[in-house]
Amino acid sequence: MTIKIAQLSCGTEYSSVQYEIDKAARSVGAKIVYPDVSASEIDEAVRRFGFTPRSNQLKLMIARAVRLADGKYDADAVFITTCFRCAEGALVRNELRRFIQENTRLPVVTYSFTERLKASQLLTRMEALVTIVTRKELLARERQTGITVGLDSGSSTTKAVVMENNKIIGKDWTPSGDVVKSATTVLENALKMAGVEMKQVEAIGTTGYGRFTLGEHFGAKLVQEELTVNSKGAVWLADRQRGEATIIDIGGMDNKAITVRDGVPDNFTMGGICAGASGRFLEMTSRRLKIEVTELGKLADQGNWRNAKMNSYCSVFGIQDLVTTLGEGKRFEDVAAAACHSVAEQVYEQQLQEIDVRRPIIQVGGTSLISGLVTAVGEVLGERPIVPPDSQYIGAVGGALLSSGML
Amino acid sequence: MSEERETRLFMISPRSMLTPDQLVRMVHAFGEEAIVKETCYGCLVEGPRSKVLEIRDKVREDHPNEVFTKCRAYPCSDPRRCRAQHGTRPGFAQLEEEWALLARIQRGLEAVDKGAKPSPREERKKLSVNEFKRICEVQE
Amino acid sequence: MKIFIDPPNSLVLFDLVERFGHEPLSAMAAIQERVDNIEIDMPPMNVTLDDVVKGLKYAGVEVPSGVRGRLAVWGPMIEEAEAAIVMDECPYSFGCVGCERSNLMVKYLLKRRGIPVLHVDYPEDDAQATDLVARIKEFLEGLQ
Repeated sequence: MTIKIAQLSCGTEYSSVQYEIDKAARSVGAKIVYPDVSASEIDEAVRRFGFTPRSNQLKLMIARAVRLADGKYDADAVFITTCFRCAEGALVRNELRRFIQENTRLPVVTYSFTERLKASQLLTRMEALVTIVTRKELLARERQTGITVGLDSGSSTTKAVVMENNKIIGKDWTPSGDVVKSATTVLENALKMAGVEMKQVEAIGTTGYGRFTLGEHFGAKLVQEELTVNSKGAVWLADRQRGEATIIDIGGMDNKAITVRDGVPDNFTMGGICAGASGRFLEMTSRRLKIEVTELGKLADQGNWRNAKMNSYCSVFGIQDLVTTLGEGKRFEDVAAAACHSVAEQVYEQQLQEIDVRRPIIQVGGTSLISGLVTAVGEVLGERPIVPPDSQYIGAVGGALLSSGML
Repeated sequence: MSEERETRLFMISPRSMLTPDQLVRMVHAFGEEAIVKETCYGCLVEGPRSKVLEIRDKVREDHPNEVFTKCRAYPCSDPRRCRAQHGTRPGFAQLEEEWALLARIQRGLEAVDKGAKPSPREERKKLSVNEFKRICEVQE
Repeated sequence: MKIFIDPPNSLVLFDLVERFGHEPLSAMAAIQERVDNIEIDMPPMNVTLDDVVKGLKYAGVEVPSGVRGRLAVWGPMIEEAEAAIVMDECPYSFGCVGCERSNLMVKYLLKRRGIPVLHVDYPEDDAQATDLVARIKEFLEGLQ
């Protein structure tokens, strides 16, 4: 079955990125389609939508979205994309995303591209759209059965979880090095902790950047991108499998903000302009402060970010701010708090503007163990997020849970 | 094709009685070496540039003000632009709109053939604030 | 003479320019050069990263890529043009010409070139259409 992803866009062909979009879709078994509209429908669609852009291509985007909302065009998912730095395009992109979500049940992803966009950057997003459509039943799974393993090969850390009858019985993590070696180490340790032999394992699920390599090496039954797998892991760990929620995962290299309905993502954003808004920045900060990243959170909780100015989109400038602030003799506590606040603020500015935050907010991933960062996210959002136990193991738990559905 | 390819679309004005089928038969009858493909608005003609231009001139001779034409970047049936492959491309709506405008352009051409000249342009200006204020005061 | 038309994909302007004896410079011709280039495989239009980078000649990097890509394709035609016809307040301009910022820049570049430019309004009735045709005819005949 070829999944039809409806593209609502402006500027892709003249930015030399349409080919990359098509290629990304094709590589995950999907096809990009454009909802048909006739010129005579455009004015009415724009009137109904209520936002009249000056650029006609954006009007066409609106008319195509209305067509989808009215159920007059058959598509499985929606990809909304406009040029990076175009204000008019950004406004329409986000409001159309909201409109599609309010009027359809189609999964949506938005993206603002530059001419440097490559298919590989879109792969995880496209793959997630396809997973949501093709693995509906699997994603509805709420209980883990049998003995299964989840392996999450992330950019910073590699995690393994062993589960038996809906319980975690073994787990381990290590900083990511060689993809297979790191995974083998954590898998052996997790199995040891669980008291389980490899031959007893009925299924393995892999996710994260190294998922394909690990999937092949371990003969995994499930190899799936981290957006859907992490969502399942997060709602399972937080015991919020039913209803709506927002999952925030500030990763080592990129950030994810996902809204879910019954554990299945219906909108997500991923990425960030720079490592300045990710866990990597906190690692750099703690190195400069000569403390462990795990201590940074506690230190931040004792400080006040308002006392140390740190506001930057870029990790290089961020570190410059840090050096200046320390040079001014600011307290380490305030500097740590400011670093956490800076990351939270940027996640808010970049990711959370592209989704509609739904309560409860579940913060997961390794960085959710940095309490100061959770405090900062809570402050920015006006509500402290839930951090479930084992929150750094979402990917591995999701992998173990979902792979049990392949038995 | 040794000579540069030209693909041209011929669009019939909505006021014309000519049908795409008649247009296609007419182009075929010229006997030029070209691919002719009937479309909902008229036809696409593809061939060496000189041949296509000859066809254009002959069509214009027979139907001076009711068939309009422009060249097209993509060859006939190019999958990169084929509607059946992906749904309509953005330029489709533009063509639909221009097709509707052709009825007026046809009338314009006919009038110009009969000697119509450009009319002097009226500069439309917004009311001055003082003038607007005066009108508002009168309304009160 | 070589006449740049704006919108550069307009059927009406393309047809009228040819009809009154001149050569229209159109978006279609610029794209044809690319789609016929078998050495490039970047469908649908074969506009490449190099093109978008060339667009920096017309607009800085803070300008969206779609604007720079368009200007890279149309810019050389504007430079080649000896005169231009611009249809202002065109209610519909899709596809190539769907970006208003690029369209504003095209008008500006034409102005800077200093070539004769005829501005016409999109006609709303038959009388205006007649006026449009008459003005274009007069302009083009005057160029000879």
